[in-house]
Amino acid sequence: MPHPIYRSLRSARVLVALGLILCIGFCAAFASSIAPHDPSEQNLVSTLLPPAWAIGGDETFPLGTDSLGRCVLSRLIYGARTAMTVAVFASLGAMVIGSILAYVSGYFGGAIDWIIGRAVDVWMSFPPVILSLILMVGLGIGLDKVILAIVLVDWTRFCRVLRSEVLIVTGRDYVAAARLLGFTHWQTLVREVVPATLPLLITLISLEMAIAVVVEAILSFVGLGVKPDQPAWGQMIADARQYVYQSPWNLLFPVLAIFLTVTAFNLLGDGLRRTLDVRLAESGR
Amino acid sequence: MFDSQKVGAKAVFVLQARNLTVSARVDDAIVPVIRALSFELPRGKILGLVGESGAGKSMVGRSIAQLLPSGFHILGGELAFEGQSLVHMAAARRRALLGRAIAFIPQAPLTALNPVMTIGRQFDEHLARLDQRGRAHRRERAIAMLAAAKLPNASELLDRYPHQLSGGMCQRVLIAMAFVSNPKLVIADEPTTALDVTMHPPIIHLIADMQRQHGTAVIFITHDLRLAAQLCDEVVVMYAGRAVERGPARSVFSTPAHPYTRCLQLANPSMSAERRTLYVVPDQMPSLRQLRGISGCHFAPRCPLVAEDCCQAEPPNVAITADHVVACIRAEDTRSITTELGSTVATTFSKRTLLQVERLGKRYAIGRGLLGRTYEIAAVKDVSFSIAENEFVALVGESGSGKSTLAKLLIGLEKPSTGQIMLNGQDLTEPSTRARRLRTETMQMIFQDSQSALNPRRRVASIITQVMEAGNRRASWDERTARTNVLLAEVGLSADFAMRLPAQLSGGQRQRINIARALCNIPKILIADEIVSGLDVSIQAQLLNLLMRLRAELGFAMLFISHDLSVVRHLCSRVLVMYRGEIVEQGPIDTVFGAPQHPHTRALLSSIPPGGALGSLAIGGE
Amino acid sequence: MIATVLKLLGRRMLAAVPILIVVSALLFCVLRVLPVDPAAMSLPPTATIAEVEAKRHEMGLDQPLPQQYLIWLEGALRGDFGRSIHFHRESGSLVAATLPATMELAVAAMVFATILGIGGGLVLFHVRDTAFEPIADMASILLLSIPEFLWALILLFVFGVTLQLLPFTGRVSPGLSQPHITGFLLLDTLVVGRFDAFLSAGQHLILPAVALGLAFSPAIMRVLRSSLFDVYHEDYIQQARLRGLSESRILLGHALKNAALPTITLAGVQFGFLFSGTLLVEVIYSYPGLGNLMVDAVRNADLPLIQAVGLTYCIVVLVINTVVDGLYLVLNPKLRVR
Repeated sequence: MPHPIYRSLRSARVLVALGLILCIGFCAAFASSIAPHDPSEQNLVSTLLPPAWAIGGDETFPLGTDSLGRCVLSRLIYGARTAMTVAVFASLGAMVIGSILAYVSGYFGGAIDWIIGRAVDVWMSFPPVILSLILMVGLGIGLDKVILAIVLVDWTRFCRVLRSEVLIVTGRDYVAAARLLGFTHWQTLVREVVPATLPLLITLISLEMAIAVVVEAILSFVGLGVKPDQPAWGQMIADARQYVYQSPWNLLFPVLAIFLTVTAFNLLGDGLRRTLDVRLAESGR
Repeated sequence: MFDSQKVGAKAVFVLQARNLTVSARVDDAIVPVIRALSFELPRGKILGLVGESGAGKSMVGRSIAQLLPSGFHILGGELAFEGQSLVHMAAARRRALLGRAIAFIPQAPLTALNPVMTIGRQFDEHLARLDQRGRAHRRERAIAMLAAAKLPNASELLDRYPHQLSGGMCQRVLIAMAFVSNPKLVIADEPTTALDVTMHPPIIHLIADMQRQHGTAVIFITHDLRLAAQLCDEVVVMYAGRAVERGPARSVFSTPAHPYTRCLQLANPSMSAERRTLYVVPDQMPSLRQLRGISGCHFAPRCPLVAEDCCQAEPPNVAITADHVVACIRAEDTRSITTELGSTVATTFSKRTLLQVERLGKRYAIGRGLLGRTYEIAAVKDVSFSIAENEFVALVGESGSGKSTLAKLLIGLEKPSTGQIMLNGQDLTEPSTRARRLRTETMQMIFQDSQSALNPRRRVASIITQVMEAGNRRASWDERTARTNVLLAEVGLSADFAMRLPAQLSGGQRQRINIARALCNIPKILIADEIVSGLDVSIQAQLLNLLMRLRAELGFAMLFISHDLSVVRHLCSRVLVMYRGEIVEQGPIDTVFGAPQHPHTRALLSSIPPGGALGSLAIGGE
Repeated sequence: MIATVLKLLGRRMLAAVPILIVVSALLFCVLRVLPVDPAAMSLPPTATIAEVEAKRHEMGLDQPLPQQYLIWLEGALRGDFGRSIHFHRESGSLVAATLPATMELAVAAMVFATILGIGGGLVLFHVRDTAFEPIADMASILLLSIPEFLWALILLFVFGVTLQLLPFTGRVSPGLSQPHITGFLLLDTLVVGRFDAFLSAGQHLILPAVALGLAFSPAIMRVLRSSLFDVYHEDYIQQARLRGLSESRILLGHALKNAALPTITLAGVQFGFLFSGTLLVEVIYSYPGLGNLMVDAVRNADLPLIQAVGLTYCIVVLVINTVVDGLYLVLNPKLRVR
């Protein structure tokens, strides 16, 4: 079979998803160059303007303005920066903690596995949304606190899912064979176990990014997300909801933005899962 | 052939195949999986379909049921059940036949029953299709049938779930369900392959009894020549989708006409005859993809009697006697294929004890009682034996006897609860690094499941020389390449295998890589855990010959774990018989097999189909 | 059999108790390391430092942390969860007043999600190996990507604001009195015979329940489909065909029974997530339930209330998970009988 990377790139899902993500990432990275206005700049004269193509729209504000006269398009673009930053760092953080504990727990078993397992059980009996809200109360608001909260809540999911896979791989004969040939535990873990679980890990990261974007939006919506001066899609929704009759577009655009981003990450995760898991690729599921 | 009986033949034959051809779609091409298969099965007779895996035998069963996998089609020919064409029959009529006039006995009994329904419910559902008389009647009928299948406590059994039954019991239930409708035809697809060896004779006898009682015609699909010889009236030998030989079982086995049949016979180690080297047929049966490229006789690439004409066109069916047909143009020379007489077991080996096992034991804690008491089970109890340098010792026993646990204890994957393992005077059970290093250097294991034993992401060269990257050693890539080439040559594979991935290897090739990896550091003892189980006879013969050659060249001892006594007799000089965690009998092979003392040893020996028809006549010709 | 199930359930419940204790302790600690001072928050800004100190002493905030926790625990076991700083009422009674509303919403949403999930799963399975499969599959991924709060917003926008078909604020139309017996409006209104209130309550429930249900049904769809797919590859299905059983009999009598197990387990787990998902939906639809209470508490750093509501969510989810475990035991013969 061709190398997994080539297989992945031939999958339509993966290509579409990557395309979307690159667009959004581009917006995030080059926000200051792309955005037509400063996202915090208020124009109290032209508040709640509709998009440029509707009646009463202004060309200088392509997607209209919000209740404080701020340019919606600019806020969307800067909001992408917030979302992507949270997505990347939160999922990496959750992955690092979750996977290290999963490898240790699954490979060594015994008492370590039991302790980590119980800790995960306790942690997971908190509904995630509730826990992240409570953590934000305790940590205070801000971008870094949001990332920290998501990492603290979601590492358990990583750990649990990865651990099952680690258990399966560790049970395979070639891992035992490596030990018999004189490999140390570290060598066995790094050379035999980890590479076998990489496909799952990559899929999980992608799905985790989708979740991180949603959680960030929820927190911003409730007012416990990033600082108020930083544009965030959730906050745009909260704002737009109050003026939904006057300016319905303002609700639509951030909803669409979140939807596209989350779909892209989910699609990427699903596409990668299909191409990297050889079993599935062969049975055509 | 049965030409003379053609008039009125339709009424006589339960199943008749005429030039049946089944094709499969492989990589956008149509490849024939079964080619021009013809046979007749009269009422009440048993027909054996014999062949190695990939020969197409199971496809015949599925063609009868018209339940072919997707991509497979019946391309041509005829398949008739009691005169009615199965190929052209309407789907509804065919479904009406299944379960009533035509029944199937599956290969894997434990998974062939729905795990969330009781036996009774499934039996009842089956009977409800046949019998309208009401639940009480059906229950009685089920109980009667289960009792006929020699199942104790039949009425209690009906309320059990499949996972509460053993494999043998499940198979009896399935046999009961197959025969309860008084079928005209039963297709038994390798019914004993998934069961323990001691279960084989009772199940075979049960099928034979039921067949006699109900007068059913049976198609018996198997890869085991001896089993077919024991049970069947007529036999069809299949190779690469073609019937290469067909005739009465007695004739086919006493005077095999086709070179393949003869080679198959000679590749089977015998239980009673004098020891001979096993006949090795090179390579393996062509896979579906490879079938496209071959013209002429499909066996020609491997045939010892191959001539130029063989590759021109497919050989026609030649009648040797009235009912014995063979598809070969060189059939008269078949009896010239023979092997040398010779001692395959090295009788000379050093008497120096290499490994000494004293009172080894392993207990596992399972489950917890109400008050927190742990129940323990002893997987290995008080085991003592020794292995000398260069000696091949066999460890035989059924599944669950503790053989694998013993292997794990020896190799260090499990810690013993009691006892010692002394290697050259050093106790391996100590937790010291010295003990561990000694073990790594002198003992290696060859695993049973070659698929699971090879890291799918590593290339062959990396796998074989894996020991060279262990610990603190940092062997250079050149050193590893050099060693790879040496090892590949030793196990009989060409150098271009070095860059392949395990997924690109066949079962036999994977096992060779397994062996090569174990040999990389030239260990003194190898532990081989069922390494030839599940492999085709010809591949098995290749590997056994390889092991013996390697011992002669490199010199190592081996603990050979197997459930196949004939293989063990061929390869090893001493045997340890294990039963429920204990070694119940041990000694030189001929002594133990010739005059077994322990009842379990006797049970194991009696489970082998009598090699009478085979053994004494395996010597070339009559 | 009943005995084994009860014994196992009991063991599971017992195991849940230490989890609850640890959870409540963690909640306690997290909240106590706040940068906010609850004492200062409960007094007017003009209070002097001495008054704040006195208040702190009154609230017991000057005691060591473990002791504070034990005091709280002792109160909790009596049913006293502390006094809400913001609402000036017992936290316990606030929770009791809003819990039934959230329960009602969650159950309605779950019923909808289950029906949609099973239907969708069967459809997905039915179109396998046909041209519709990629379309159906893509649709299920898209559905999966929309979280409940987006659904809530979309439905509010489309059916509430634009088409003006359904109400999207509160539990009943303002002006209608709400009978209060169990707290479950649909039940209460029926019992009392107030059909106008029943209709209104039902209408108000539609959008939030559908939003939640739509968000959580795709997972059920996909798991049913893949379970059926797995089951159809099993030997016993092939053997059933060889016995001549019809395809419909195989699906209904054999396959679904086996596919039900992982599906029901997942649906149970999803119910746990759904229950915590009610929070956002309630906020968007101004539905007076536990979610809105939590958001108010959190916005006001109302510690005792946050603690009480947080614990309630945990208890409900734990109970749901325990019941799901028990259900799994009952349905799986391999675990039920040895």
